[in-house]
Amino acid sequence: MTSFYSGPGFDFSNTVRNNFLQDRGLPLPKATSTGTTIVGCIYKDGVVLGADTRATEGPIVADKNCEKIHYITESIRCCGAGTAADTEFTTALISSNMEMHALSTGRKPRVVTAMTMLKQMLFRYQGHVGAALVLGGVDVTGPHLFTIAPHGSTDKLPYVTMGSGSLAAMAVFEAGWKPDMTREEALELVVAAISAGIFNDLGSGSNVDACVITANKTEMLRNFVRPNERVTKERSYGFRRGTTAWKKEQIRSLIVSEEVVKHGEAMDVS
Amino acid sequence: MASADGGAYSYSLTVFSPSGKLVQIEHALAAVSQGTTSLGIKASNGIVIATEKKSSSILIDDSVIEKVAVVCPNIGIVYSGMGPDFRILVTRARKSAQSYWKIHGEYPPTKVLTQEIATIMQQATQSGGVRPYGVSLLVAGWDVTRGPSLYQVDPSGSFWAWKASAIGRNMINAKTFLEKRYNDDISLEDAIHTALLTLKEGFEGQMTEKTIEIGVITVPTQTELEAGKVEGTGRYKPTFRKLTEEEVRDYLAL
Amino acid sequence: MSIMEYNGGSVIAMVGKDCVAIASDLRLGVQSLSISSNFQKIFPVTDRIYVGLPGLASDVTTLHEQFRYRVNMYTIKEEREIEPQTFAQMVSSTLYERRFGPYFIEPVIAGMQRTPSGSYEPFIAATDLIGCLNFAKDFVVAGTASSELFGAAEGLWEPDLEAEDLFETISQTLLNAVDRDTFSGWGAVVHVMTKDKVITRTLKGRMD
Repeated sequence: MTSFYSGPGFDFSNTVRNNFLQDRGLPLPKATSTGTTIVGCIYKDGVVLGADTRATEGPIVADKNCEKIHYITESIRCCGAGTAADTEFTTALISSNMEMHALSTGRKPRVVTAMTMLKQMLFRYQGHVGAALVLGGVDVTGPHLFTIAPHGSTDKLPYVTMGSGSLAAMAVFEAGWKPDMTREEALELVVAAISAGIFNDLGSGSNVDACVITANKTEMLRNFVRPNERVTKERSYGFRRGTTAWKKEQIRSLIVSEEVVKHGEAMDVS
Repeated sequence: MASADGGAYSYSLTVFSPSGKLVQIEHALAAVSQGTTSLGIKASNGIVIATEKKSSSILIDDSVIEKVAVVCPNIGIVYSGMGPDFRILVTRARKSAQSYWKIHGEYPPTKVLTQEIATIMQQATQSGGVRPYGVSLLVAGWDVTRGPSLYQVDPSGSFWAWKASAIGRNMINAKTFLEKRYNDDISLEDAIHTALLTLKEGFEGQMTEKTIEIGVITVPTQTELEAGKVEGTGRYKPTFRKLTEEEVRDYLAL
Repeated sequence: MSIMEYNGGSVIAMVGKDCVAIASDLRLGVQSLSISSNFQKIFPVTDRIYVGLPGLASDVTTLHEQFRYRVNMYTIKEEREIEPQTFAQMVSSTLYERRFGPYFIEPVIAGMQRTPSGSYEPFIAATDLIGCLNFAKDFVVAGTASSELFGAAEGLWEPDLEAEDLFETISQTLLNAVDRDTFSGWGAVVHVMTKDKVITRTLKGRMD
């Protein structure tokens, strides 16, 4: 029987056709990517993660307010840059595995566990899964912050940046980072770093998302700063009804109407 | 007779007797009825599943024994019968719930997950080289379409929905007790007490937080439902949880 | 030329006040040669979900069949109708399964999502060809005229449009965008969905 669920792993059955088409001079279309500025920094009580919210398809802005800080566990989150679908599915897969791990060990999973799962998966795919990640969280051993490159190499540092805006963001960190910052100082620095990406890197834009993780609380600050708010239009550009000429109309009613016709005497049920 | 794929030994161990019975399945049920009593009660605002946790020796460290298991945030199960078989089924159920989540972005409804487990158990009654699972399960779950539901799954792979049920040793007595005690608008708190009272009936020794395990489904309120996912997590608030030892102790004290 | 331009075609979906609309052009071509002016790219999934599949025409058919199969299996197994959000997730995972050998389709989903209180709210989403979901609050576009559609929709869309006004806005956005795309056009179709009905209109458009 054909299963409703398909087997694990990827399906390569279209590759022969696609390579043929490519050889005929029809190149593969671009997937959505997140040019992106993503950062993380460790402070006195935990970790602050930050991300911009622009998704691009070549030179086009595909999504003006997407979410790049992904949920791994309650106290571990992961920022994603690179091929958008890859960051989305890789983090979802690892989140799922971490939940299984937590259920079978009966403990809160650690950041290094997520980092190892991610790097092993990315290394296995030799960079073809194009996810560049900033992983941060707090576990029983304290706060941790990592970057994971698409080929599977990792770094463990007190402040990190990734994505096309990483240079702009790192410049801000190098100038302003100091050890044992307070929550406010760390958050302010992360916002400044992401803003540097938003305003100086074309692949990054729109709003600042931030996430503050401490030992007993995780605060997701979605659209923490919105420096690129669209102004309301000066006038309405609505069209007068009847502007568009149409040839055929078909209306499908979604309401089930039922007509009850009484027929003869009611049955004697006494 | 003998063929390349293993011959006579590749036949299922579960073979019909001339009277139409599957003796292996009946033996499996016998294994279940030797297991400790477990029960489940559906209340108006939730479900309780409970079991007694008995160790054969006082030297056993019972803090690592787990009889009520979380499958996914909205489903939990308890068993009577063979512990090792249960462990395999829990892992399979958890994996199934996770692969459902990866496709649909939400956890499976109770009925779908129960069906998955039942299918696994049925396959063991019809495959070569295996024996049926020696457990009966009570599956408690909540989903948005059907609300709270309580299922029982048997070694044969058959499953039914219950308002209240008991499995394992003493199940007949426990069910009679539940029939007397049950009504449709019982609250979760009352159901937990009824569960404890039912277990007490056939209990040997002292009922303590170390020898009782309880899991509960709490039905979300309309406000909680409308609030949707927990801010910043992209997940719903779990509806199933195991009671802590402290909570069990408090219920036993009442 | 990219594979997406081989057969041409574009789809757009927009949110209105208690309504959604999804529209597409009707052209099927082989590179610059137009073949059909009645090629369906938008398909009903359930009463309250429509999916638009712009891209390679053979994959339009294949994926439509695949989604129909998966949705039917879901309906039978779960004894309930699939919700737009769940369907979007299913589309996304179906496409990502073929991450390294994709179908050349960028699906657009529009529907009315049931809320816990029993009412319906508009839902739109789009994915790229490997299943990266984009849940927009205003509009989503896909196909060969996507950059033109982005521009037109950015200018014309406004919040809380009533069904009839949403029809005008989505129609004008689509018609004017495809007029600047050689691979899209040759007529258009618009579906406007409210909680109790779906209005489908075939538009008069340029046939060049």
